[in-house]
Amino acid sequence: MEDYPEELRTPPVTLVSIVGHPDLHATISTHLHSEQPPINTLALPDFSKISVIAKTPKEKENQLPSSYTSSGILKRDWLSKHRTRVPAVVAALFDADQLSGDPALWQQVCTDIENLKAVIKGRNIKLVVVVVVRFNSRDFITEDRMVALRKRAELDAKYVVTFIPDDASELNQSLNRLGSIFAELAVTFYRDEGRRVKMRLEKKTYASIEFNIRYCFKVAIYAEFRRDWVEALRMYEDGYHALREMIGTSTRLPPIQRLVEIKAVAEQLHFKISTLLLHGGKVVDAIKWFRQHNSCYKKVTGPPQVNFLHWEWLSRQFLVFAELLESSNATMQTTSSPPLAWEFRPAYYYQLAAQYLKEKKTCVEVALSMPDSIPETDDSSDSIVPSLYIGQYVRLLDLGDTSVMQLITDEDYTQYTLTEFQKSRDSTEIIGLLKKSYEAYTSSKSQRSASFCRLLMAKEYFTSNDHTTAKLHLDKLTTLYRQEGWVALLWEVLGYLRECSRNLNSAQDFIAYSLEMAALPLSPLAGIQKDYGPGGSPSLQQVERIHQEVFSIVLEDSDSNSGSDSGGGVKVNGEYPVHLEIDLVSPLRVVLLTSVAFHEQIVKPYAPTLITVSILSQLPCPVEIDQLEVQFNQSECNFIIVNARRREKSAITNVHPDRRVETVPVLQLFTNKWLRLTYDIKSVNSGKLECTYVIARIGSHFSICCGAESPANMTDLPLWKFEDRFEASPTKDPAIAFSGMKVTQVEEPDPQVDLKLDSVGPALVGENFMLPVTLTSKGHSVFSGELKINLVDTRGVGLLSPREAEVSSTDNLHVELLGVSGPELELESDSDSPRKFQNSFGLVSVPFLNVGDSWSCNLEIRWHRPKPIMLYVSLGYSPVSGSPKVHVHKSLQIEGKTPVVISHRLMLPFRRDPLLLSRIKRTPDSGQPASLPVNETSILVVSTTNCTEVPLRLISMSVEPDDNLKSGNQDSGQHPGQPTLLPGEEFKKVFTVKPEANITKLNMGSVCLRWRRDFDSSKEVLTKQNLPDLNVEFPPLIVSLECPPHGILGQPFTYYARVHNQTKLLQEIRFSLSDSQSFVLSGPHNDTTFVLPLSEHILSYKLVPLSSGSLQLPRVTITSVRYTAGFQPTVAASTIFVFPSKPQFQLELESGKNSGSGSG
Amino acid sequence: MIVCIAVVGHQNNPLYIQSFTEADDALKLHHIVHCSLDVVDERVNNPKKSGPMINETFLGLLYPTENYKVYGYLTNTKVKFILVTTDLDVRDADVRNFFRRFHSAYLDAVSNPFHVPGKKITSKTFAERVSTIVKSVSFNTAG
Repeated sequence: MEDYPEELRTPPVTLVSIVGHPDLHATISTHLHSEQPPINTLALPDFSKISVIAKTPKEKENQLPSSYTSSGILKRDWLSKHRTRVPAVVAALFDADQLSGDPALWQQVCTDIENLKAVIKGRNIKLVVVVVVRFNSRDFITEDRMVALRKRAELDAKYVVTFIPDDASELNQSLNRLGSIFAELAVTFYRDEGRRVKMRLEKKTYASIEFNIRYCFKVAIYAEFRRDWVEALRMYEDGYHALREMIGTSTRLPPIQRLVEIKAVAEQLHFKISTLLLHGGKVVDAIKWFRQHNSCYKKVTGPPQVNFLHWEWLSRQFLVFAELLESSNATMQTTSSPPLAWEFRPAYYYQLAAQYLKEKKTCVEVALSMPDSIPETDDSSDSIVPSLYIGQYVRLLDLGDTSVMQLITDEDYTQYTLTEFQKSRDSTEIIGLLKKSYEAYTSSKSQRSASFCRLLMAKEYFTSNDHTTAKLHLDKLTTLYRQEGWVALLWEVLGYLRECSRNLNSAQDFIAYSLEMAALPLSPLAGIQKDYGPGGSPSLQQVERIHQEVFSIVLEDSDSNSGSDSGGGVKVNGEYPVHLEIDLVSPLRVVLLTSVAFHEQIVKPYAPTLITVSILSQLPCPVEIDQLEVQFNQSECNFIIVNARRREKSAITNVHPDRRVETVPVLQLFTNKWLRLTYDIKSVNSGKLECTYVIARIGSHFSICCGAESPANMTDLPLWKFEDRFEASPTKDPAIAFSGMKVTQVEEPDPQVDLKLDSVGPALVGENFMLPVTLTSKGHSVFSGELKINLVDTRGVGLLSPREAEVSSTDNLHVELLGVSGPELELESDSDSPRKFQNSFGLVSVPFLNVGDSWSCNLEIRWHRPKPIMLYVSLGYSPVSGSPKVHVHKSLQIEGKTPVVISHRLMLPFRRDPLLLSRIKRTPDSGQPASLPVNETSILVVSTTNCTEVPLRLISMSVEPDDNLKSGNQDSGQHPGQPTLLPGEEFKKVFTVKPEANITKLNMGSVCLRWRRDFDSSKEVLTKQNLPDLNVEFPPLIVSLECPPHGILGQPFTYYARVHNQTKLLQEIRFSLSDSQSFVLSGPHNDTTFVLPLSEHILSYKLVPLSSGSLQLPRVTITSVRYTAGFQPTVAASTIFVFPSKPQFQLELESGKNSGSGSG
Repeated sequence: MIVCIAVVGHQNNPLYIQSFTEADDALKLHHIVHCSLDVVDERVNNPKKSGPMINETFLGLLYPTENYKVYGYLTNTKVKFILVTTDLDVRDADVRNFFRRFHSAYLDAVSNPFHVPGKKITSKTFAERVSTIVKSVSFNTAG
């Protein structure tokens, strides 16, 4: 499109001319230019210059032979003339002074106007007279002067205007006035001109069809000046159709040039039409039009010797249309959200433009290759220039001071264009077009079309011998074709790549591409195909030829460099060895696929296991491999398989001397047939044993390193996976083929160290439970041994629900790993290896042990709550210093049990009952007082029961009281005999308690029990249990019964019932006594009496027992009226033993009884 | 005249491609078929909003090249059929009809128990049947 002249590419703009008053020109032209639609200004400083717009005499045409004068369709400069030299309107600017003052000046004005009128007459140019007036003197200008001026100019009043330049608002008004007058007159001018030409068209008063077209073009241009696009379009189309008629009929010029002219005009008309359609947003119409244009002229190739002209022209049509489409798409981008159809895309047209340009290039090359295409002495074509008419060329003859144009023959023209085309750089242009197309396709995500363009581009680079760039592009193409399995396309690309590598002398790439080509799954195609590029047609013969070529290059050196030049400069020798790597994603997997499977998934160290190495190749001919090296991650296992037939040719070089070497009689790969090799293999180290690579060596300088794959997760071969072929499994055993892996796990050697956990029965809560751990080495020395100890809840840590986890986080404290004690650990504890213990985890390092040695330690675990736990102990050690670790695991479940159960009872003193008001209110069910009377001595009985299965030795039992409690029996609580408590046995101890402060909540303190297991080395354990809190209460009344410890038959004794009033109130009490048959009694029987504050009332009775034995005393019932509380002594309290006669007591025993201890 | 017919699989891989020209332009036709897959992708990813088009298997004219017209068809298992013809004035109904017949031939071929889905169609019967269909079809109204 850039080749077109500016006036053709842009819509025409109205041109006006202003003459005189050069100081105002800039202002006026700027204003006019910014008008909508804009107006261009041809500014002439004074009236002497007006001849430029005058009709020029046709000098140039006169130079031509007379027959030539009227021939030609469109004049080359007609359009530019109308855009730059022929104004629609001329405005003459005069100063007001010139009108009003001097008659000489007025005369001058008149002359100027006359001259101007004469000049514009021939062209019908409209005239405007502008009188420039100063703002201050605008009233001086007289009406009659203006009228005179108008008459002189023969103008309407409205075309004689005043212009006031020195006032902003007036200036603006003047400019606007001028602008509208110009616009109006310009439209009139162009309409008149158009009508004039159209008249001729309608009357058909033209001499030849050329004029018809020319008139159509002119009318259309005039319509464009008026922005009457519809009219313009119609006229262009008329012209276009008329032109089409000319092709067969015109005989005016020699045939080649005639066609060239017609096509050139058609191109211009078509360009105008397309532009108008596209600017009008009628994309579909434009495309239809283009299609029509294309089909119209596609067949009009002209004589075959100049077909390159046609291709060049056609290519330009596509290019221009693509550019037009692109620019219009760019402006419409916002509205076109759905993707455009193919034909709406510039990419398509760019691609075709490139395609035709390539045709042209080929034709030019053919034409140039003709023996006498360009004569040797060629100076005639130098002087050939474009003529006055579009699409015509003439020879410019230099005749001294003037030059004359002369028509040329077709032969001259052909030679001229050929020389021109010879200079052009078509390749670069083609690549440029293809690149545009490629980019456009890529941006619209049409990757396949983009790839196709890229391929064409690469081919163009290839033909222009830029192999590096070509290879770059081709390499990128292969991915898509490989992925989608388009073998034929891939074949073509690889063929080019192979050739590029050959030319770049890259043996590595050449061999890789050749091998890939040879291993492609070709479907047999009928016939020899020519257009496959340097790779040749994809046939079995070609594949075999490529295969043979590669292997002859590879093996060449070993055959003492026989100079067969098959590789075309590609050499593989000691200086340039070739090493190909094939990984999981390499396209060369089709060339060599290795699958490695261990027959066992877990093996013992040093135990032999089988490994199968299977190799598959899709190369068309059998391949013989010299040696195969199988590599593992443990390099001691690597081994080499040597082909016995080629042993001497493949001298084993750079191989570790003690490497294992296997020999097989023949190592040959057939197409699509697994070569299976099974060997046994011994692993030395435990851990993972993985086969990493299999390296195949062919010849002395060629090797293929193939990443080993497991049969279990081997992916399909690229390309071949779409083929309908027989797929054998890599191993004979289908199970291994299905699940075999290239990795095996080598186990640790069996541990030869005993780990023993001695349990001594259940652990007891509170004690430091000692658990001996013993290591005994039986066959291994222990280097850098390490014990890991772990305590786990038997419920299992991993199975906890979140709620349980919460509980168990506190539970962790129930059992605690305190530490480890051992013979040597005491020394170590303060050295550099600090023992690491958490609550449930410990790490202990074990010293070096020789074979036969043993070592032990004790784990100290403490239970805070009864709970079963699991103890895991694992030993890791190296049998030899630095060797991998061997592990021994042991576990033990240990029960944690409560050793003793402590219970207690509180009792009031015998026959003394304080009135506790809280007891009255409550139901007196429980025998234990919930509250204690203040300042009264109560009795606390603590009993403890051994609930373990082992005897315990009791060291002490004591109560650690609260401050407000005075407890009797305040000694250390040591029991000198350390009584042994057998399982199930109970031990009781009595304490007296006397609360001294009257507080509601009394903390009774806690029972401390010290005990140990019943053997000498055991350690003392302290078990503490809190006693419950008690209420302390002030008793208002205390009733105590007094009677002797025993009675004697017939002997009277006194029995008192004392009621002590501790309050400061008078207490009324009622009492009654029930008779008893066993006694004769005297004393008050039934009464109500008062007890004075802080005093005592005593009821005394004299009793005589009438019988002997344990007798019930008469029961006194005392009722406090104030508290409505009754008192009746318990049966035990009102029982007395009556001896038949006075007994004899031994007094010594009585002293021992005082300690108050007893056992039950 | 039909010059090429192709069956294209899920990975846009050719399952069957056959050209019916005397000239040596098989490769060119391969390229045309391959490039037309772009249009198929586009049509499938941006279906037209109009309702009845959604379940339509016939994709219509994919794109006109200079000398050929390319038509597409998408089965409900997302296998694509691509047709390249030199006839420039073709009625859609004729192409639809052709594709319908071709589809049934394809169905018979892949229903063969020895055919592995996703692999190339190598059946000779299929090839013969296709060439019969191709020969019997004439798009050009002129003849």
